Amino acid sequence: MSIRRTLSITRRIFRGLRHDWRALFMMFLTPIIGVTVFGVAFSGDVSHVQVVVVNQDEGYQIPPATVAVSLADAIIANCDADVLRFAYVATEEEGLDRVKSGKAYGLIIFPSNFTSEVYAKGLDPTLPINPKIRVALDKSNVTVANTITKAVSEAMLKASESMGIESPLVIDADNAVYAEGASFRDFFLPGNIGFIMFMLTFILTLLAFVSERTSGSLQRLHVTPLTDSELVMGYALAFSIIAVIQTAIVLVTITVIFNTMMAGNVWLAFVVIAVLSIMSLSLGILCSSLARAEAQAIQFLPLVAMPCFLLSGIFWPIEAIPVYLRPLSYAVPPTYAVNATRSVMLRGWGLEHVWVELVAMVAFTVAFLVLSVWSLHRDRG
Amino acid sequence: MLDAAPADIILGGDNREVPDSIRNGYAVETRNLTKRFGHFTALDNLDLKIEAHAVHGLLGPNGAGKTTAIKLLCGLLKPTAGEAYILGKKVPDRSLLPQIGYMPQETALYLDLTVHHNLSLYGELYGLTRKRIAEREKDLLRFIALEKWRDSLVANLSGGMKHRVSLACSMIHEPKLLFLDEPTVGVDPELRASFWEYFNGLQKAGVTIVLTTHYMDEAQHCDKIGLIRRGRLIADGTPGDIVKRTNTTNLEDAFLALAGHQAEA
Repeated sequence: MSIRRTLSITRRIFRGLRHDWRALFMMFLTPIIGVTVFGVAFSGDVSHVQVVVVNQDEGYQIPPATVAVSLADAIIANCDADVLRFAYVATEEEGLDRVKSGKAYGLIIFPSNFTSEVYAKGLDPTLPINPKIRVALDKSNVTVANTITKAVSEAMLKASESMGIESPLVIDADNAVYAEGASFRDFFLPGNIGFIMFMLTFILTLLAFVSERTSGSLQRLHVTPLTDSELVMGYALAFSIIAVIQTAIVLVTITVIFNTMMAGNVWLAFVVIAVLSIMSLSLGILCSSLARAEAQAIQFLPLVAMPCFLLSGIFWPIEAIPVYLRPLSYAVPPTYAVNATRSVMLRGWGLEHVWVELVAMVAFTVAFLVLSVWSLHRDRG
Repeated sequence: MLDAAPADIILGGDNREVPDSIRNGYAVETRNLTKRFGHFTALDNLDLKIEAHAVHGLLGPNGAGKTTAIKLLCGLLKPTAGEAYILGKKVPDRSLLPQIGYMPQETALYLDLTVHHNLSLYGELYGLTRKRIAEREKDLLRFIALEKWRDSLVANLSGGMKHRVSLACSMIHEPKLLFLDEPTVGVDPELRASFWEYFNGLQKAGVTIVLTTHYMDEAQHCDKIGLIRRGRLIADGTPGDIVKRTNTTNLEDAFLALAGHQAEA
């Protein structure tokens, strides 16, 4: 293999780009737009949910206090005001109407003897009473409904604690092993970078290489001393350089604009994403070398993108995929990148943990490139 | 039908036992070269012998198999049957690549590069030094009369200009053997005349040129021509010889006479 000929191909790609400002602009702006759009849209956690409250709780004078206090009031006060927005009505019917007409997602009802029953039950758990907060939810949006339930439960625990009411059972989930204080966006963006970089570099190479064939220049190159592996490596090198720059842009965007959690080494995160990008462009070259025309190449897009989108755990954890499909997750390359970026950025893991994913991605890269060379070679004749 | 054809100057001695065709002065030699695409036979048992240092034209109507023949000789297609020898070596052979130049029928240039960068890319691929590339570029740009367009993007050139750049790209490394697929299509008559002058100059310098054309009048400039019709070689020899053999006055009539002959057979 001649380095000089390989570099000639790499140089020719950059020379071509120099005359194509639009492509260049898109190449470096698209990653920023991609991450920003996702980052803003998935600002993460559900907030400002309209909830109606019917508070009939009369309160109770808990000894040694001399004034009656209401646990219901305490729970409402302990709810995160950013998450739930309360409106108060007098009757249950009125509240239900609000939910039914779509003005609120849920109705919370505190019965009149709520505080006293909770207190009594706390003192003597054998009492045949069962204090309840009744919640009527519009479950048409599961995520919002779950958010209401979770917010109320958390507020209840905090409220009883502050009032000195013994709760029989408490789950203390405040001690995070990893990613303490991570928001949904912190979880989402590392995977999202993987997806954006995968799609970007894949499409870019897919189209760049196929034009070599349609223009007829591939045949001309076949008559020069350039070998198939030099051609593939020349392309891989050029687009790797572009991909590394894109990776840097994306990482800067998410850390500067979105202040995403970076528990681990930022350089390791950079390496993981760069390796993913190089793997994606290798897949792009492979699909492109299999295609005869642009239209054919485009058909690879859904074929490759859909499984990656669904199986790699970018949006939904792999744990949300049916068990029998899970092994397939490990056949789609971005899975490794999504795992590795999350491990580095959220868990703060180092190379001693993520080397497995890195090796897997390098193996995919090598396989894709070898297959590309083979596919080009097969074409001759 | 081939056997019945009049005396054949090129197909002299029978050298079938000796693959070393260059010893016999042939730059190109094919034996029963056949290419089928599915049921379609693009090239049918082509036996071609092309002398070194000659301008050899492959003539025939569109779809006759000329381009297929050139692609087989360049190693871009694998023959279904038969073999081809170039400069004494059996095709495909990587060691042949630096010695041959190929100009495809389609433009096959990088539209997003300048004329200069297209030429230097091919120069680099053939391992030419930077200095040598500059010298060759200067000569070739003068030849194709595009000196002023050196730094223009190929995308901005006219069809004929692109064609000339493509021709220059195939010659940057001074190949011993040039395969030119329709080099004069879309080139104006004045420039076409200078092309032929240049080709004859290259020939004197020891270059062998194999070109295809469907302009019968152009074939007069060739030392030897091979008439191809429906994938078969129906005649070859010097243009004058073929005209004489068929008792016609020009190549066009000669071709028609031979075509009629083939149709009867």
